[in-house]
Amino acid sequence: MRLVLFDLPSERRGNFNPICLSRPIWELRCGMSSLGEKIIARLGATDVAQFVPQYMAAAYAEQTGYPVNDAKTLGGDDLLLVNPRVKAEALNVETTGAPEVCLSDEGEVLYARVPADTLAKLQAGSIEELLESVKSLPNVQRDLATWNYTWDLVLANPDQITEDFRAAGMSGIVGSVEEPRAIRGSEKDVYVASGAKVHPMVVLDAEHGPIYIDQDVEVHPFTRIEGPCYVGKKSILLGAKCREGNSIGPVCRVGGEVEESIIHGHSNKYHDGFLGHAYVGEWVNLGALTTNSDLKNDYSDVSVVLDGKKPVGTGSTKVGSLIGDHTKTSIGALFNTGAYVGAMTLIMATGSPLPKFIPSFTWFLNGVPTKGFGKKKLYQTARTAMSRRKKEWTDAQEAMWDAIFELTAPVRNPVIKKGRREMTRGR
Amino acid sequence: MEKSEIQERVVKVVCDVLHIDADMVTPEANFVFDLGAESTQSIQLIAAFEEEFDIEMDEEAALSVDTVGGAIDFIDKCLGA
Repeated sequence: MRLVLFDLPSERRGNFNPICLSRPIWELRCGMSSLGEKIIARLGATDVAQFVPQYMAAAYAEQTGYPVNDAKTLGGDDLLLVNPRVKAEALNVETTGAPEVCLSDEGEVLYARVPADTLAKLQAGSIEELLESVKSLPNVQRDLATWNYTWDLVLANPDQITEDFRAAGMSGIVGSVEEPRAIRGSEKDVYVASGAKVHPMVVLDAEHGPIYIDQDVEVHPFTRIEGPCYVGKKSILLGAKCREGNSIGPVCRVGGEVEESIIHGHSNKYHDGFLGHAYVGEWVNLGALTTNSDLKNDYSDVSVVLDGKKPVGTGSTKVGSLIGDHTKTSIGALFNTGAYVGAMTLIMATGSPLPKFIPSFTWFLNGVPTKGFGKKKLYQTARTAMSRRKKEWTDAQEAMWDAIFELTAPVRNPVIKKGRREMTRGR
Repeated sequence: MEKSEIQERVVKVVCDVLHIDADMVTPEANFVFDLGAESTQSIQLIAAFEEEFDIEMDEEAALSVDTVGGAIDFIDKCLGA
């Protein structure tokens, strides 16, 4: 059986922006791993094929060991097509058996099991054709739980860390925890992996959930980590007040106060400032005292503007910022509750809470969204940031970001025009 | 639009954004070295020119313009394009 993960352009994809502008949905993280890793583990798949929006295919192919957008992978074996929005734990599906398809209420394929002999009778020249064609297979009615928005992952993160910790089955101190140390709760709920160094004067509070400190992590003195918490490989915590429900890393530098947030790899929040119920992409740098609100003063549900126009109710009183890849903030940036901060943005603080929607590739300066010094300058900064971590900014990545620039222009351009009118009026 | 009108409006925008007197804004004046423009003010200048003349300027090309006279020529080209 070959597992085929697919994430093709659709309106619903936008629910996972700005994080999924530059990655397929299954690369979103929750708990200790990505959604894709959970699906693969759940199904025990070893043969995996992946289909992503064409503009990101070349860049994504550089980062994954599985084939990307290769039509040949749609033949020659039994296939199990899986929509990465389906929660892994809901995938109680036999990997082999009679053909069947499960559709959402909107007719979207959630999964389809396609034996090789059935495949020969379907249109399988492309993933788009195949996904349309499998709708003719016997439909099964299943109420499969799905991820619908990025904040779903944030809200599920504490429980998911606890589940992933149990599933990993790791416990104890393999790395080092220097004296004096303070472990609250059961030591069985703490795992410090090989190469990880927990300095003196660190509190590991596992009373309310497990703590997994992965390989080569360094935890500096006066850090307090409350479980459930996952700290990814080679991350550094710098006197952080790490409240419950965080997934951090790999290779992040985190200080200040962080609560129930997911931070992708190579992002830094080195200094003081509060980040709560936030989802932060890769290569983000949050300047000192950057803070987000995750709770409104009237305790009403938070809404998020995903498309620059219409707010979407989250149904939750606690939602922080969604921050896209390669975004940088100055010292003292203040994000409003449920802020959408696009990818490749550069934010200069104003002293007041910033707008709730900041489009990708915007330079937010003196309270005004502008084109700034343009995307080439942003690329140059990204190249510099990546080279500091021995990572390469490739031609494929640049081509992907060029495509994202075009893709996001219809939302960005009106915001910039409005900003410049406001700026002119204020002169 | 006549170039003299462009020049007049450019001078006004530069004075407004950089908070300087009009007599400093000569065609030869360099935005950074003569008029003291900070990097963020360069961005503000571009945005203000776009608004004043209702044009879209390529930011990378526009930022390579370093004098008031260069800006007048650049805007003249944009308007003629």
